[in-house]
Amino acid sequence: MKPTIGIEVHVELKSMAKVFSMSKNNFNDEANTNINVIDMGYPGTLPRLNKGIIDMALKAALAFNCKINQTMHFDRKNYFYPDLPKGYQITQQDTPIGYDGYVEIMDGEKKKIYLERIHIEEDTCKSMHTTETLLNYNRAGVPLIEIVTKPCMHSSSEAVKYLEKLRETLLYLGVSDVKIEEGSMRCDVNVSVSDSDKLGTKCEVKNIGSISNVGLAIDYEIKRQTEELNSGNVIKEQTRRFDDKTNTTVLMRYKETGNDYRYFPEPDLPYVYISDEWLQEVKDNMPILTDELKEKYINLGINNNNIKTIIANKDICNFLESVIDKCNPVIASNLLTGDILSYLNKNIVKINDTKLNKENFIKLVDLLDKNTISSKQAKEIITTILETDKDVLDIVKENNFEQISDDNYIKEVIVKIVSENPESVVDFKDGKDRAVKFLMGQVMKETKGKVNPALANTMLNDYLKSLL
Amino acid sequence: MTYLDLDIKEINNLLKEKKIKPIDLVNEAFEKIEKSNLNCFITLNKEEAIKQAKELENVEVDNLLFGLPIAVKDNILTKNLRTTAASHILDDFIPIYDATVVSKIKDKHMIIIGKTNMDEFAMGSTGETSYFGNTLNPHNNIKIPGGSSSGSAACVSFLITPFALGTDTGGSIRQPSSFCGIVGLKPTYGTVSRYGIIAFASSLDQVGPMTKNVYENALLLSAIAGCDKNDLTSKDINVDYMSLIGKDINGIKIAIPNYYMSDAIDNEVKDKVKEVVEMLKNKGAIVDYIDINYLKYAIPLYQVIALGEASSNLARYDGVKYGLSCDAKNIDELYRKTRTEGFGNEVKRRIMIGSYILSGKNAQEYYYKALKVRKAMTDSFKEVFDKYDLIIGPTNTSVAYDLGTKQDDALKSFYDDLLTIPVNMAGLPAMSLPIGFNKDNLPIGMHIIGNYFKEDKIYWLASFIEKNLNLDMTPKGVK
Repeated sequence: MKPTIGIEVHVELKSMAKVFSMSKNNFNDEANTNINVIDMGYPGTLPRLNKGIIDMALKAALAFNCKINQTMHFDRKNYFYPDLPKGYQITQQDTPIGYDGYVEIMDGEKKKIYLERIHIEEDTCKSMHTTETLLNYNRAGVPLIEIVTKPCMHSSSEAVKYLEKLRETLLYLGVSDVKIEEGSMRCDVNVSVSDSDKLGTKCEVKNIGSISNVGLAIDYEIKRQTEELNSGNVIKEQTRRFDDKTNTTVLMRYKETGNDYRYFPEPDLPYVYISDEWLQEVKDNMPILTDELKEKYINLGINNNNIKTIIANKDICNFLESVIDKCNPVIASNLLTGDILSYLNKNIVKINDTKLNKENFIKLVDLLDKNTISSKQAKEIITTILETDKDVLDIVKENNFEQISDDNYIKEVIVKIVSENPESVVDFKDGKDRAVKFLMGQVMKETKGKVNPALANTMLNDYLKSLL
Repeated sequence: MTYLDLDIKEINNLLKEKKIKPIDLVNEAFEKIEKSNLNCFITLNKEEAIKQAKELENVEVDNLLFGLPIAVKDNILTKNLRTTAASHILDDFIPIYDATVVSKIKDKHMIIIGKTNMDEFAMGSTGETSYFGNTLNPHNNIKIPGGSSSGSAACVSFLITPFALGTDTGGSIRQPSSFCGIVGLKPTYGTVSRYGIIAFASSLDQVGPMTKNVYENALLLSAIAGCDKNDLTSKDINVDYMSLIGKDINGIKIAIPNYYMSDAIDNEVKDKVKEVVEMLKNKGAIVDYIDINYLKYAIPLYQVIALGEASSNLARYDGVKYGLSCDAKNIDELYRKTRTEGFGNEVKRRIMIGSYILSGKNAQEYYYKALKVRKAMTDSFKEVFDKYDLIIGPTNTSVAYDLGTKQDDALKSFYDDLLTIPVNMAGLPAMSLPIGFNKDNLPIGMHIIGNYFKEDKIYWLASFIEKNLNLDMTPKGVK
C-alpha cells in the first residue's frame, strides 16, 4: 500500500493594511475595531487593491520557484456562511499569481516537493461560538496566500520537512509571522492510500495545530486507511479533524459531490499586469534565504550546530548578518549562539529589546580575536553590554581586563613557577597531564589571570619540553 | 410663477442677485411633489433639504448647480437618508456613508429632495417591481414611466426637480427617459464612480444624469464624472463635456445600424427617427446604414452576464449584518426566511437564473462563452467608430405601454431593452434624446451612441437636434 499526500497551506500576510480595504491588518486588537464598510460587505462598497500584498505574494512565489502569471485577475468564490460578509470570497481561481513551483527539502537526501499553485485571497471573519455565535470582522479581508502542493509526498517525514522549510522560508521572506498556534499558518492535509499507480480516494484533515501534529495525523491516516482497505472496505471522500488528545483523526463530514462555488471573474477589480520591471524590482529586493545563508556560513567556517541555532532564531541571524562583514564570523557566531542566546532565553527577551549595539559587539569580537581578553572576561562583558550602554573598551579598562601577551614577561613568570615546583616537572616527564594544568593554574594565580591563557599554555608546554 | 421651469442660467442669476433663495426652489419642489401624485419618491428629504437650503443663504453662489434641487435614485447611498433599492429587504436601511456621486453633488451645493422610486434592485423596465408600488408616467397615468429609473424620469418630466440621478445596467436611464420625454445619458463605463451604488451587475452598472435638456445634462455629468480611488474600474479621463454644444454639425459622420430600424421596431418610432435623419442630412451630416455583428445576442448575453453577477452581488443580503432579518432558529432558516420575505418575485427569479448559469459546468457553457461574445460585439462597435463619429437609432422598440401589460411574462420585459443592452455590453456612452410625440401624445426617444469617453460628441449632435426641433416635452397640464 502506497500513501500519497498533498498539503494546502493558508498563510496570513503581515501587511499594514488589509488586501481589499485600508483597514489595519491586526486581528489581535479589540474585536471589531479594525473594520470599515468594505470589510463589512456594506451595500455599495467596492474592493480596493493593496499593491504591497502583490509584492509579498510575488516574493513567496519566487522563493518557491513558481512561474508567475504576469496578467492575472481575481475571482469570486460564492457560498453562504455567516463569516463571509459579502456572500463571496475574493480569491484567484483561473490565474494564481504563481504556479508550477517547488520547495527543496533534505529528507535523508535532497528532494523537491512540487507546488501546483500559490494564490492571493481574503480571509473571512472569525466566528466565536458560545451560546450564540459572535463575529469578529478584524479578520475579514486579512490577506492570505494559499500554497497548494501536488499530490507528491509519500511519508509524514516528507510532509513535516516540507512544512518546516515552508515556514522557515516565509519567515525569512518577512511576509508572515507563520505561527500555526495563532492561526497565521493553517494546514489542511490530503491523504490517500493505494496499492496501484492510480491514486486512492483522499481524506482531508483540516486545521491541524502544529507541524508535528501534521506528521501524527498523516501517520494515523495512512494506518487507518490501509486497515480499512485491507479489510475490504471502500473509502469515501471525507473531511476529518485531528484530535490532539488521542493523536487520531475524527470524521467531520463526508464530501458531497460537486461542491459548487460558482466561480467567476471579479468584475469590481481590473486585471493586474505585473510588468517585467515590477517583477525585477521584487527579485532585486529579495532577502537572502536560508539555503543560501547556510552555504555562506559553512564557507565562513561556522560549525553546523551554530548554523542550525542561528537559522532557527531569525533575530539572531539578522544581527549576525548586520556584523558579519565587520568582524570574525566564527567568534561572532560563538558569542551569539552561546552566552548571548542563553541570556536571551533565560530572561525571555529578544535581542532587539536589549541594549546590545553593533559597534560594541564588533569591539568585543575584535578583543577576543586579538586575544586581548579571555573568554571568561568576555562573558562578564556580555552581560554588561546587554543591559547597559557602556562601551566595551571602557568596561575592559575599568575592570583591568586587558590580557598580557608580552612574551618576555610570560617567560619570566613560567621560569619562576616551574623552578618553584620541581615535583610537577617530574610528573610532566612521567606523562601526567595534570602537571601542565597545575602549572598553568599557578601562572594565572601569579598574574591575577591577566596573561593570555592560550599563549601562556603554549609557552609553558614548549618550556617543559625543552627541559626533557 | 414657477422658478424651476426656467433655464438654470436664469435661476442662477436670480440666486446671485438674491432675488430668490435656495429655500424658494426647495419649497417649490415639495409643492410639486404634492401636486404630482406620481409616486416618484420612496423617501423625501424634506426636513434636511430645508435646513440645507437655509444654510446656503450664507454661502456664495459659486457654480451653476448651486442650490438646485436634485432627485436621487434609491439605489444610490445617501448618508443618514434611507436607501432601499425599492426592496423590502432594505426598507429600513439608513446608510452611514455617501456614494461618491452624492458627495460630488453635495460639493456643488445641490440639494437632495428625495430618493426616487425604481424597480427593485434596478431589476425591471416598468417600475412595477418596486416594493413601494409603481410610478406613473406624467404624460399618461395609465402608462408605465419605464424603468428601472422610473421615479427619476417622472420627476424631471413633471418639472419637480431640474435634475435627477439614475443608474443604467441595460437601459435603465435611457428607456424611462425616452418614455417620459427627457434627456438621459448613460456615460462610458468607468466615467462615474460606482462607489456607493447598490450593485446589480458590476460590469454593466453606470450612474448618469437625467435632465430636461442637453446643456443641463452635460453640466450634471461634469459634476459627477471623475476617477475615484474607491472604484478601481473608474477612469481618469478629462473631457470637456460642454465644448461642442451648439457647434455646427456639417460633415459629422453618423451610422444607423439596420438592426435598429428592423421590423421589430414600432413604425411611428421609426418614422420619427427618419424625419430627424432627413433634417440632419439637410444640415450636412453624412448618414449611412450599416450592419453591426452580434447585436441579436444582446438579450441572452444580458441574461447570462447581468444575472450571473447579480446572483453574487445580492448574496450579501442575508439578515446577518443589515437590512431585514427574520426570526430564525438557525442560520439556514435565517437565510431562507429573510431572503424569501425580503426579495420580490422578479429579483428571486433573476437570482435563481444567475445562480444556475454559474453552477458547475454551466459556467463554461454559458458565462464564459457569453464573455467571448461580449468581446466580439465590443470589437464590432469599435470597427464602426473607426469610421463614424456617432451611431443613432431609436432608444426603444416602442413608446410607453399600459401598466400591467407584461407583468405575467417575465421574458417579455427584457425585450424592452433590445436596443439599449448592446451599449452596456460594450461599455459605450449613449443618450436618449426626446424627438417628439406619437399620435397618442407619448414621447419618442432617439438613441445617440458615442465612442468611448466621447460624450462630448453625443452632446454636440444632441444639442443640434434639440435646437432644430425646438420641442416642448412638458406633459400636458404641468405648466
